[in-house]
Amino acid sequence: MRKTGLAMVLVFGTGAAQAQPVLHAVGLESQYADVMRQIGGPYVQVSAIEDDPNTDPHEFELSPDVAKRIYGADVIVANGLGYDGWADKLLGNAHGEVISAQAVLKLPDSTPNPHLWYDPETMPAVARAVAAAFAAKDPAHAAQYAANEKAFEASLQPWVNALAELRQKYAGTKVAVTEPVADYMLQAAGLNIATPFSLQAAIMNGTDPAPQDVSAQQALLSGGGAKIFVYNQQVTDALTVSFLATAKGAKLQVLGVYELMPAGAKNYQGWMESEVAELGRDLAGQ
Amino acid sequence: MFEGFWTSQVVWNALLIGGAAAVLSGCIGVFTVLRGQSFAGHALADVSSAGGALSLLLGINPMLGFFGLGLLGALGLSGRRQGDGDLAAGILLGAGLGLTALLLHFAISLRNSTGAAAVVMFGSLFSAPPGAGALALGSALAGVVLLGVIHRPLLLSSLDAGLAAVRGVNIRLVAGVFLVLLALAVTLSAMAVGAILSTALLIGPAAAALRLTRRPGLACALAAGLGVFCAWGGVALAYASYGFTPGRVWPVSFFIVALVFCTYAAASLRRA
Repeated sequence: MRKTGLAMVLVFGTGAAQAQPVLHAVGLESQYADVMRQIGGPYVQVSAIEDDPNTDPHEFELSPDVAKRIYGADVIVANGLGYDGWADKLLGNAHGEVISAQAVLKLPDSTPNPHLWYDPETMPAVARAVAAAFAAKDPAHAAQYAANEKAFEASLQPWVNALAELRQKYAGTKVAVTEPVADYMLQAAGLNIATPFSLQAAIMNGTDPAPQDVSAQQALLSGGGAKIFVYNQQVTDALTVSFLATAKGAKLQVLGVYELMPAGAKNYQGWMESEVAELGRDLAGQ
Repeated sequence: MFEGFWTSQVVWNALLIGGAAAVLSGCIGVFTVLRGQSFAGHALADVSSAGGALSLLLGINPMLGFFGLGLLGALGLSGRRQGDGDLAAGILLGAGLGLTALLLHFAISLRNSTGAAAVVMFGSLFSAPPGAGALALGSALAGVVLLGVIHRPLLLSSLDAGLAAVRGVNIRLVAGVFLVLLALAVTLSAMAVGAILSTALLIGPAAAALRLTRRPGLACALAAGLGVFCAWGGVALAYASYGFTPGRVWPVSFFIVALVFCTYAAASLRRA
């Protein structure tokens, strides 16, 4: 993460190579931190709290160091919808400005799927809120923040175009999933998520899955109409592993997705582009 | 309400594990109640929960974890006299749960085990790994056979240790083998209803059976039957609960333990 930060400084810091960070910002999830880095450039020092793709973000545990970083930040971006509920109390006491993706998108608390960053609508709105917050805290560099934000939105276009292309070709195609991680992206591509949402919620929340739902999913995977199987690689259990075995047995294309930005990804838009590219290959049956 | 019940792999797996746990726990439970070792049984269950957490951490078969730690607990309890047995069980119980807290922390934060704590402590029959049913059934049969082999000296030493010693029974050996069987019964019950609730399946049906008959052999059969009724009834009710609150089933463990409680309450109405 530090290395990407440095790379961003080099990319965006032309003409301001000696610039010292003026603001400190925190993204509770690595993908939000990445977007903040792109907008802040050399003037904002950004850190991510949850950036380990090997753990379940829903079960994050708090440490005193994390509390200190959140308390000391000028701008904080959270996801909301209970996804980072562990931080709610800290955010209430934070002296910086708190931006919640849920609030930016005006979503009610009852929204069932918290994985907002897979929705193409989310990051542009968050990016605008971030640029505004940076400008308010550091008016001297407001123009740079606004320019960086525009550049970021423009750089999302290839992803959005790829989704539109998939929608034209494959709208209505049935897919099976484990958790609702990438559901917003699949919906944006016009696909029909055939797995019962109650099963997705049970797997996401670690509660008892209904045998009825498990049977429906097994039927879907073993020749029951699903073209591809979207699998959360970050959080697995005996049930999802057995689904994976069924899907592989039926020679379905399996698309692995992540909840947090994987370490190998260049940036948020690069991550999303590679996921949609893989989705396209799987749908084409390659 | 029961559409697709008999064709669901998940249901069959749950019925096998629940049935196996109920049969062995029912039989072992009768001797546990007769020997006044209910608390030791509960302590073993709590210690075995550390094994359940360990298996999640290491990614091994949960049954291996539960049984391994259960055996260690049995080793710690063996050779205790009746009097200070409770004390030792209490100390062991605390240490076991403490270890569970640590291992669960690592299982959740290092491996991606969503809901690990609830699964280990309160069970999750509908998310048991496929194939666990056959293993549970085999273990239960082995346990029942071993109990059959030692049932005479075990019964004698349970009812009158002095008389058993005079008759030439190796009381310590019998007690040791019984603790191993107890660990196995607790393991299967922990797989079915979770470590914390496994006592219910161990003690409940056995205590109800002993209310209805004083003959040990009959009590074992009755306890096993009542246990299976509770386990399978619980699975069926949980399956039906899909319609109670749209799209989600209530925990199987709740229904099984509720049925155990009702069974014991009904048996208590009759004066044995």
